Amino acid sequence: MPDTVNHVPYDAHNSEIIMNIRNITKKFPVAGGKFLTACDNVSINVRKAETIAIVGESGCGKTTLLKAVMNIHAPTSGEIVFHGKDITKLTGEEKRQNYRHIQMVFQDPTAAFNPKMKVKNIICEPLLNFNLIKKSEIDEKARELLEMVELPGDFADRYPNNMSGGQRQRVAIARALALQPEIIACDEATSALDVSVQDTVIKLLVKLQQERGITYLFICHDLALVSMFAQRVAVMYLGNVMEKIDGDKLDNARHPYTRALLKAVFPVATKDNFTIETLQGDIPSPLDMPAGCPFQDRCYKCADKCRTEKPVLQELDYNHYVACHYPVTDEELCR
Amino acid sequence: MLLDVAHLDISYGANPKPTVQDVNFTLNEGEVLTIVGESGSGKTTVIRAILGCLSAGGHVSNGDINFAGRDLLKFSNSDWLDLRGKDVSMIFQDSGAMMNPVQTIGHQYIEYIRTHSDMSKEEAKQRAIDMLARMNLPNPENILNSYAFELSGGMRQRVGIAMAITFHPKLLLADEPTSALDVTTQAQIVKELMNIIKKGGASMIVVTHNIGVAAYMSDKIMVMAGGRVVEYGNTEDVIKNQKKPIPRSF
Repeated sequence: MPDTVNHVPYDAHNSEIIMNIRNITKKFPVAGGKFLTACDNVSINVRKAETIAIVGESGCGKTTLLKAVMNIHAPTSGEIVFHGKDITKLTGEEKRQNYRHIQMVFQDPTAAFNPKMKVKNIICEPLLNFNLIKKSEIDEKARELLEMVELPGDFADRYPNNMSGGQRQRVAIARALALQPEIIACDEATSALDVSVQDTVIKLLVKLQQERGITYLFICHDLALVSMFAQRVAVMYLGNVMEKIDGDKLDNARHPYTRALLKAVFPVATKDNFTIETLQGDIPSPLDMPAGCPFQDRCYKCADKCRTEKPVLQELDYNHYVACHYPVTDEELCR
Repeated sequence: MLLDVAHLDISYGANPKPTVQDVNFTLNEGEVLTIVGESGSGKTTVIRAILGCLSAGGHVSNGDINFAGRDLLKFSNSDWLDLRGKDVSMIFQDSGAMMNPVQTIGHQYIEYIRTHSDMSKEEAKQRAIDMLARMNLPNPENILNSYAFELSGGMRQRVGIAMAITFHPKLLLADEPTSALDVTTQAQIVKELMNIIKKGGASMIVVTHNIGVAAYMSDKIMVMAGGRVVEYGNTEDVIKNQKKPIPRSF
């Protein structure tokens, strides 16, 4: 892997914790009186100026967790403590003011904008909503924000459909930055982009983080990509966090599911030099969660204990948590 | 030689400058060619031209496409109907979008089989079940009774592949067959596609932007940028002797 993006030097374990996501469970009611468990007892600490990547297959509850953080829907149980308050219980004006501190960048930059608004109105709308600027200041402020995301200031008078996907995603980042939030939640913010464009967008995000100390919650299903710039990685499966590990130690991951994700990436190499190992089957339905470990049906290490007792996150190494009864051993890692 | 594309130019509408310029490649039986490149580099345009289904006023303005000794550019409508879906078939990025959302998969699959052969309904259904089972899909009969939106992305893609290989085509065209899938599902689908090639002896052209997948699957790689071929050669040569460094995927 080319070291195109450097790891940001920051104090990983002493940095101030700005958000506590505690035991978030979200169940959606479905027809027939059943419940779909999207998030199951998820806890994550978010430190200042770090990037937390949440990785997993589609349907594993990544976006549901992010929506709870964004206060788009309330969790069934659990709390999200931010600035000493449980933000899931906020209402009215207090809830609205809270949005100033957490902003979001979406997956599809085409669908994220009103096509009939000019770029300058798009990126200044949050500022107008909170009465932070006057209408006469829009032009000036828009230029400033566009230059921050390395776009020419003249783009202020364009419409979103006159721009490429990468440029539009930069506009989305500018809009998220407008309110100077502490946390920016990126929901697969680079998945819809070409890989070469992905690279430049990631570099921009890292640069902004170093300059302004922004925290990113970064949802992604590409482990190779997040290992290049995320300080912490949380791997989710079927609504559960399976492993929490430092981004640069990802090669040392111990959960069989994380290993499977790592092995499923095709390296740039000729055929004879590697083998691809695949997981059998599909992710089970979150409608009837199995007793015991959620990964049991696809795990090569599955034993009787895994079918009856659900593993909890345990600290295996400093800052490395694994929810597995039989984590991968050193010996297996070398094989 | 199965397919020979020479000096191919493709233009859209009245635009005098061709969108795709001077594409040359050949493909033998049982070979896999991958076309890699960024969006807008003309990858999809090239394989759509081979199937004669360029969208929105696209037309071949220069060059030849020769498939199994026949000049595809001189084909009449009925020649195309005979060729598509039997000798040449296509796998799309999202096979769910290819299907009619208000008809069951079985209805469409059986209709497809009966359009291209003179099987009875019962025979066609049995054939569909066999093909789905071959793609490692559990409960093929249930799948025939489902609608496209009821299946997961990986299952839909398997149904699309099963449909494409029903008549043992000589040439399979795959347009980003795994781009919409998770990494784990992607690995499964890529392996299954390789099995088809090994067992069935079909040739395949895969369009992708993931150069890792390209390196794994193909005998030959063609790199496109801005409507032109930048590099073309055996997979090993292209991977080892890059003229310019290729980014992690592309």
